[in-house]
Formats: sequence, C-alpha cells, structure tokens
Amino acid sequence: MSLKSELHTHVASLRRYALVLTRDPVAADDLVQETLVKAIAKADTFQHGTDLRPWLFRILHNTHISDLRRAKTRADAAADLPDPLARDCQHTQLELKQVLGALDQLPEAQRMPIILVALREMSYAEAARTLDVPLGTFMSRLGRGRAALRRIVQGVASGKLTLMQRKEGDA
Amino acid sequence: MTKAEDREPVPDIDLMAYVDGTLPPEKVAEVEARLARDADARDAVAQWRHFDNVIHGAARSADAQPANLRIEALERQLAQKLQRRRRWAVLNGPGVRQIAASVVIFAAGWGAHAVYDRGASMVNGAYPAFVSQTLAGHYSYMLAAHESAEFPGDQMDDALAWLSAEMQQRIDSPQLERLGYQVESARLMVVDEVPVAVFYYRNPDDQRVTVSMTPREATQSDHALRVARVQDEHMAYWSSDSLNYVVVTSSEDVPITTLAAAVQR
Repeated sequence: MSLKSELHTHVASLRRYALVLTRDPVAADDLVQETLVKAIAKADTFQHGTDLRPWLFRILHNTHISDLRRAKTRADAAADLPDPLARDCQHTQLELKQVLGALDQLPEAQRMPIILVALREMSYAEAARTLDVPLGTFMSRLGRGRAALRRIVQGVASGKLTLMQRKEGDA
Repeated sequence: MTKAEDREPVPDIDLMAYVDGTLPPEKVAEVEARLARDADARDAVAQWRHFDNVIHGAARSADAQPANLRIEALERQLAQKLQRRRRWAVLNGPGVRQIAASVVIFAAGWGAHAVYDRGASMVNGAYPAFVSQTLAGHYSYMLAAHESAEFPGDQMDDALAWLSAEMQQRIDSPQLERLGYQVESARLMVVDEVPVAVFYYRNPDDQRVTVSMTPREATQSDHALRVARVQDEHMAYWSSDSLNYVVVTSSEDVPITTLAAAVQR
C-alpha cells in the first residue's frame, strides 16, 4: 500500500474515532483537522519504520484530551447524533443514545479503550500504544470500562422499568 | 477513576478477547464451555458485543459524512511531508551509507582519488558503466534526489518478484543465509534511470553485508572478480552475463571472497 493510500485509510479511521469521541460531526472534523495540522508540524520527527496509525491516533487522542481540559467539561451533546444515525429506526436511535450516553458517563481513561477497540482497526497492543499506556493498564481499563458501562446501562434500564411500573400503577 | 473502581476485579481477559475476536483458537472451546455453564458470563459477553456493535455503527456513520476539503488538503500535505521524511530516512540509513562507502572504495579501486573534489564529472568518466551508476547514486545520495522502494526481510519473495519485474530480468536472492546472515531488507534505487537492487544482510554478531546488482549493458566489457579494501571496508565487484554485482562488508569473520562466491554460487 502506498503512503498516500495508507494515510487516506488512517484519516478515515480518525474521522470515525473523532465522531464517537465528540458526538458531533463538525467538532469531529475540527478535531481531525487539528490532528493533521499537528502531524504536519511533527512530520520531521516521525521515525521511519514507526507504525503510522498509532502515531496519528495518539496525536488525536492528546489533542482531544487538551481540548477537554481547555473546556473543563465535555460538551453535553448527547442529543446531537450524527445525521446518518438520526435517519435510522427509532429503536436503533434509542439504543444508540443509551449506549453513547452511558459511555459519556465513564472517565476518559475507560472510555477511550472501549471506543478504540470498537473501531476494530487495531490490536490491543496498538491501541495501548495509541493511548501511551502499558498493555496491562489498557486491558485493565478496557475491562473496568466495559463492566461500568454494563452497570450504567442496566441501571438505566431498571430505572425505566420502575418508572413504567409506577405509571401503570398510577393508571 | 475512583478508588472503589480501582479495587474492582478486572473482568476476565479471555472473555474480552473472545468478544473482540482475538482469543487464540485453542482457547475458544474452553471459553465457550464456560459460557455454556455460566449465565453471568454469557450475559456479559452478549452485552459487551451489543455495546461494541452500537459504538462501531456510530463510528462507521462517519463514512457517510460529506468529504471535507480542508481535511483532504491537510492529508495531501501530510503525505508529502511524510514521503520526504521517509526518503530522507532511507537515504540516511545505514544501508545507503554503506553504499556510499562502497562508492569511495570503487573510486579507489579504479585509481580515482578525488571523488569529492571532481564531483559529478566523474560519473561519465572512464569507468565501467555500473561504477558510474554507483557513483551517480552516491551523488544522488548526497543530493537526496533519487527514489527508492523497500521490502522488509520477511517479504523476500515479493521483493524478488517485484525487483525482477522492475529490472526486466530475473533477480535471485544473494542467499547469504548459508553463511549465517539474515536478510534485513531489499530495496530498489533508481540512479540516472538505471535500477539498482540492493540487499542488506546482518549476522548475529551485528556484522552487515550489502549486495547490489545493476543491469549489465550489452556494450559493457566483462569484469572479472576484483576485491579491494579501503579503511575498514572490504569490497568485491564483478559482472556476469546480465548483471553487475557489488558486495561490501566491514566484517572480518567471513572473507569477502567467500561472500562473493556465495553470491556467485
């Protein structure tokens, strides 16, 4: 694969990752642009033979973390799903809101491993390199994140069930 | 992350690998047997898969977003910079340095003692064509002006097929493995529109050997095996019916003539 086509593939992946991180197509493209600008500035220090994908993802990851720190808080964009998703059926939208909403409640350290693995484009080792953490730490965060995600979603589901039962009782 | 979370046990790594499709085949049956008897593990796997599918679908929706011209322009700019960087790294890599060293040896072998002073005028001087090409390669190296393509050592079959196609004749592996060397990479350099196939080898003692081949011109006269030594480098060069060969090494362990004989077979 030529460098150009390899880079094109990675940029498409960056857009996917950024979209899930930001939950906003415009903010996602801004994040990818900022990442590419930084990558261009750092290109002279890129080590020949280094894997390009983790390098780019690491820049995006660090840029995103910096943006979050600057903003102090993550934008509350739970309802602003990307347009293509909004056209999906209501059931899918609800599932999407539920899972992404639960994902938003996780600390970044757990959220990012889950997203990186869900992209299905990297091995655990590559994803760990992207986040600049040892593989063991990555696995630990992924596991804890998944467990926490499950608890949150189950909590939301049982809360909805209680609410429905209460409404039925009221009627 | 809270301290309470820190104290929680990490979910089973085998289960996660099973969900992510990275579990070694020999462990799959073991995990599936466990899932058959453990309802909670089954539930966890089903939910993790569901989360993964939902997040994956959300990520994939980026592919349906309209093209972003600014991103495309930055992507092109980055590709150009990385290409330049890659070329620079190749040209400044140990292999090419060794080739550059071999050029000096070549020049010395033909009695030229002022390569650097006389510059490119020597390229078309009274030297065999393949020496001129190597000299040109040397100046191109200094000017970072030639192109190259590289294959790692584990892709030698592909490398040989590609090099043969590019050089329009069969290129065989130098096969220095029988002398204890492992091929690290193969590369094609284009010097004055003449292709040069270069193979880099290293042995367990970290001693390197470089072998280069250039097409032999029909009008070129025959060159029997010659060896030369300049400073710490040993070099052998000769021509066959269709190719010119150069072998360069700083190794003292294996005589240069043995290396040359191995390449000649």
